[in-house]
Amino acid sequence: MNDMRPMDNAVTDKTKITARDVHVHYGTTHAIKGVDVDIADRTVTAFIGPSGCGKSTFLRCLNRMNDTIPGALVTGEIRIDEADIYDPRVDPVQLRAKVGMVFQKPNPFPKSIYDNVAYGPKIHGLARNKAELDEIVEKALRRGAIWDEVKDRLHAPGTGLSGGQQQRLCIARAVATEPEILLMDEPCSALDPIATAQVEELIDELRQNFTVVIVTHSMQQAARVSQRTAFFHLGHLVEYGETGKIFTNPEDSRTESYISGRIG
Amino acid sequence: MPPIWTALIVLVIAAAGFVLARARARGAARREARRLHSLLHYYGWTAAIYAAGPALLLLALWLVAQPVVTRSLTWPVLQAEAAEGAVPSLMMADVQRLAAGLDTAASSGRLSPEAARALPPEELRAVMADQGVALGSDVTPATRDAALRWQRVSGLGHLLRDIAVIGLALAGAAWGISRARPDIRARNAVERAMRGGLIAAALIAILSTVGIVLALIFNTVEFFRLYPAAEFFFGTTWSPSFGGGSELGILPLLWGTLYISIIALIVAVPIGLFAAIYLAEYAHRNVRSWAKPMLEMLAGIPTIVYGLFALLTVGPLLVEAFGRGGWLGLGWMQGGTAVMTAGLVMGIMLIPFVSSLSDDIINAVPQSLRDGSLGLGATRSETIRQVVLPAALPGIVGAVLLAASRAIGETMIVVLGAGAAARLSMNPFDAMTTVTAKIVSQLTGDADFSSPEALVAFALGMTLFVITLALNVVALWIVRRYREQYE
Amino acid sequence: MTDISNDTPARGGSLLVTDARTKRRNRAETRFKAYGIAALAVGMAFLVALLWAILSNGLTAFSQTYVQLDVPLLEEKLDKDGDRDPDKIAKVSTFGYKPLIEAALTDLVAREGIETELDGKALTKILSDSAAAKIRDRVLADPSLIGQTVSFDLLASSRVDGYLKGRVSRESLARDKNLDAAHLDLVDTLREAGAVEKRFNLAFITGADASDSRPEQAGIGVAMLGSFFMMLVVLILSLPIGVAASIYLEEFAPQNRLTDLIEVNISNLAAVPSIVFGILGLAVFIQFMHLPQSAPLVGGLVLTLMTLPTIIISTRAALKSVPPSIRDAALGVGASRMQAVTHHVLPLAMPGILTGTILGLAQALGETAPLLLIGMVGYIATNYPDGVAEGFLAPNSAMPAQIYEWAKRADPAFYERAWGGIIVLLAFLLAMNLIAVLLRRRFERRW
Repeated sequence: MNDMRPMDNAVTDKTKITARDVHVHYGTTHAIKGVDVDIADRTVTAFIGPSGCGKSTFLRCLNRMNDTIPGALVTGEIRIDEADIYDPRVDPVQLRAKVGMVFQKPNPFPKSIYDNVAYGPKIHGLARNKAELDEIVEKALRRGAIWDEVKDRLHAPGTGLSGGQQQRLCIARAVATEPEILLMDEPCSALDPIATAQVEELIDELRQNFTVVIVTHSMQQAARVSQRTAFFHLGHLVEYGETGKIFTNPEDSRTESYISGRIG
Repeated sequence: MPPIWTALIVLVIAAAGFVLARARARGAARREARRLHSLLHYYGWTAAIYAAGPALLLLALWLVAQPVVTRSLTWPVLQAEAAEGAVPSLMMADVQRLAAGLDTAASSGRLSPEAARALPPEELRAVMADQGVALGSDVTPATRDAALRWQRVSGLGHLLRDIAVIGLALAGAAWGISRARPDIRARNAVERAMRGGLIAAALIAILSTVGIVLALIFNTVEFFRLYPAAEFFFGTTWSPSFGGGSELGILPLLWGTLYISIIALIVAVPIGLFAAIYLAEYAHRNVRSWAKPMLEMLAGIPTIVYGLFALLTVGPLLVEAFGRGGWLGLGWMQGGTAVMTAGLVMGIMLIPFVSSLSDDIINAVPQSLRDGSLGLGATRSETIRQVVLPAALPGIVGAVLLAASRAIGETMIVVLGAGAAARLSMNPFDAMTTVTAKIVSQLTGDADFSSPEALVAFALGMTLFVITLALNVVALWIVRRYREQYE
Repeated sequence: MTDISNDTPARGGSLLVTDARTKRRNRAETRFKAYGIAALAVGMAFLVALLWAILSNGLTAFSQTYVQLDVPLLEEKLDKDGDRDPDKIAKVSTFGYKPLIEAALTDLVAREGIETELDGKALTKILSDSAAAKIRDRVLADPSLIGQTVSFDLLASSRVDGYLKGRVSRESLARDKNLDAAHLDLVDTLREAGAVEKRFNLAFITGADASDSRPEQAGIGVAMLGSFFMMLVVLILSLPIGVAASIYLEEFAPQNRLTDLIEVNISNLAAVPSIVFGILGLAVFIQFMHLPQSAPLVGGLVLTLMTLPTIIISTRAALKSVPPSIRDAALGVGASRMQAVTHHVLPLAMPGILTGTILGLAQALGETAPLLLIGMVGYIATNYPDGVAEGFLAPNSAMPAQIYEWAKRADPAFYERAWGGIIVLLAFLLAMNLIAVLLRRRFERRW
């Protein structure tokens, strides 16, 4: 069942993620150069910037997906709820259960729709029995706004869905493990306009339960879905603030150039 | 004149045609003050191709056809005798050998054809033995007559062949030279011929398959005429004896083949698969860059080396462990050659085969699936076991089938390592034998090729060919389907 | 795969504390990774074991024990008339030389002051059977030596050789009729005196095979020539045919049934067991076309058919790697398709083609099974081929067939030869692979 909570559109003040002086090196490339940012709880925060500016790299630091790339080195401090996620005591596996991720290209596993969603809960042991698992899957699919489309074919392969459906399935899959934070890496770049609109609508709903961080190429999308926006340029966080302010009255000249289409 | 000389003469004619045609084209261009359609050398090549192509083709056809024709012309002489139950192919073989012997005798001047005709047939065998020609049986009058006829027919054939081939070459060259005119599109003609050559080369692949299939079918049918097919396919005893009364049941051989292959796969699949998983998913780039080539070195080692390793190293080692009075005191093993020995060594041979195929297949699984799983908080091993391997499963099944087909067709390891006894036993430490090993042993003796004991090798070969081909077709189909899925 | 269990992790617990379930999953992770490392290690261990077996058993074949002996070439034994007529000298068979060797050995023993119970005839057992033939050959080549005392380096018998290499011991000789402990004592003393010594065995690499009773004399040289002629046939036939077939399939073939058929054929031929090619060779080349048995020509033909698919597959890959823009450029300046291919695509693909061909040849060089069927074993390759035509047509062996032949013989002294032969074979394969790798490095082009 969709648990309805009172809508609140205002940005909360509670900080969920704190980053201080974060640097990322890939071999000899210095991809992120000293980023400081505070990301608020239950908000949609958008990372924008030209290609190669480091926005996706920084996003992948937040659930330590960079660990999987050989040669990547992250320094600095990132705290989620006051716990430093690069502390040696932190298990990245446990971290990623708490910080879910949705990728650029829809990547359903070559399994059934049901198994796709049930995969996370199963490995994290979230369900005690089949009935509980069924319930988790249904809830996740509802939150992913795809339940009505797939409820009659839960055991059909997930790869058979359309692109937009696949991406919503991937969102449902990420939500199923009950994360607190959802990272989205250009989730709509592979989708057509209609599917994009559906996913954007979904992101707005997800804000009620999750802290959402979204990397996007499209400034319009950032303006539509986010409350806060961070502008990255050449590995630096140039400007960060209320979305409305960034788009209407940027402080930095580089931000202004980007917004007005002169760079990027 | 030996065919090689005929061929050389044809090539000389072609070369002359090249020179003349080029000169003529140059002259014509100068005289008529026209531009040639093609570069000069194309006119030369046209003549050379017209001269050599058809002539050499005719020569080749003639070489294949002549023995067949000669045989059919000689056969009537022998027919009367053949009725008495002699084996035709054996008789013909003797006739041919005798004819060849008479040829050498005539050319060395020791025995003219007339003298041979006059000689009593009984003495011919001894005369031939002096020449170093061994005959299978005593010479009967019919054999002698047939041999003399053979000699005559083939001599005439050779003469006709040389005249026809050289004549054709000359005619081709003349035609080619006459075509050396500016308006002729020589380059197009040359390119058409080249293209024909390319197609012919591509057809050789089919030709060798046809050759394999014909050679197998022809002799297998011959075998089944002498030995009932049902007993071959369902017989449980393999005891060939060249004196007759052989029992040639394939089941013990198939069982040996299967048993050894299974052991080989039990060794190779887990090791190869886990090594591939480690190399593809865990290993650091540096480790991968030396470990993968090292593992693949195992694949580059010839099978004779593995055979020797089985016979001289692994076999004795296993006997020390499992033999009577061995470390384990089990007494299971009688000798070094056994199913276990061959299976183990074959497994080692197959490790790189399984690992590099699996490595390719695992690498073909898109990275996005791994990211998806890791992003959900799965560990690497969970990702591999629950996402990567299921996705790669069809490809891996294909790889295992290919490895199985390799194992079934492997010869040297089993010839040296598995033993020679055909038996239906469950003990992996017993010596057993395989289809391939028996093909070798039935065809390397001094048996003549018309006895069922030798012909059975072709039936075995046919069985082997069909099994490996089927495995291979299925495996390639699965792998291709799998590749398409992620392309 | 239902991993449903009861130890649901506490939601919202601190990230700094690893919960029990995660710990368990991490242990499974470590185990799984360990399996991978173990599998790799086992694979490597097999490789090391194989190489160790080859080197430890085979390197000894490259040294051989020789006995240095001053043999008096007595005129009254070898040339009674004293007129040095080569025909008469040639009438003296190797038996005629035996007494000379006996005398020389007895003399050597006496000169060194060694006490031994062995008499002249028994003494000769430390020498190879080939000793007399060697002296005779030398005398026939230079009859003027008769009457002098000439120093010879003669092969020791395989037992003595085995003793110095640690293969034969006094215990193992107990059941041996040929040699007993007294011989070994003698060898020990002679070795101290410098008359018996181990030396590098060039004859193993260049020499011919020897009969069953003379393992000490067997060499792989003739078989090497057999392999060489076979590889020549394979190269001459499979390179042009393979390249032509690939060019057709890659550049000209229309998409039709025939092309499909050829493609399916090639990929399946590559997986046909090599023994089946042997059957083909036997039935077609020997039974049907009556080419001579055991001839490198036939072996080469069979191996050509076997290697063709490999060469075609790698050549097509090389052609495919030449970008289409090159073809377009050539066609654009008015070249015909054939010219575009022969002038531009083929030269660019050549390094790749050569690499594939060398690897195909290496595979053919090590192949044994088909050679068994066309009669390249069971044959003792004692003669060097006489000229090029003989090289192709006269019966010969090939390196892998020679190794197989030695492995099948009864005397364990031949095993050392077989392992040694493998070292020679692998050296060739290694060299070919190195050339292929260097070629690839040198000419590799990134488009």
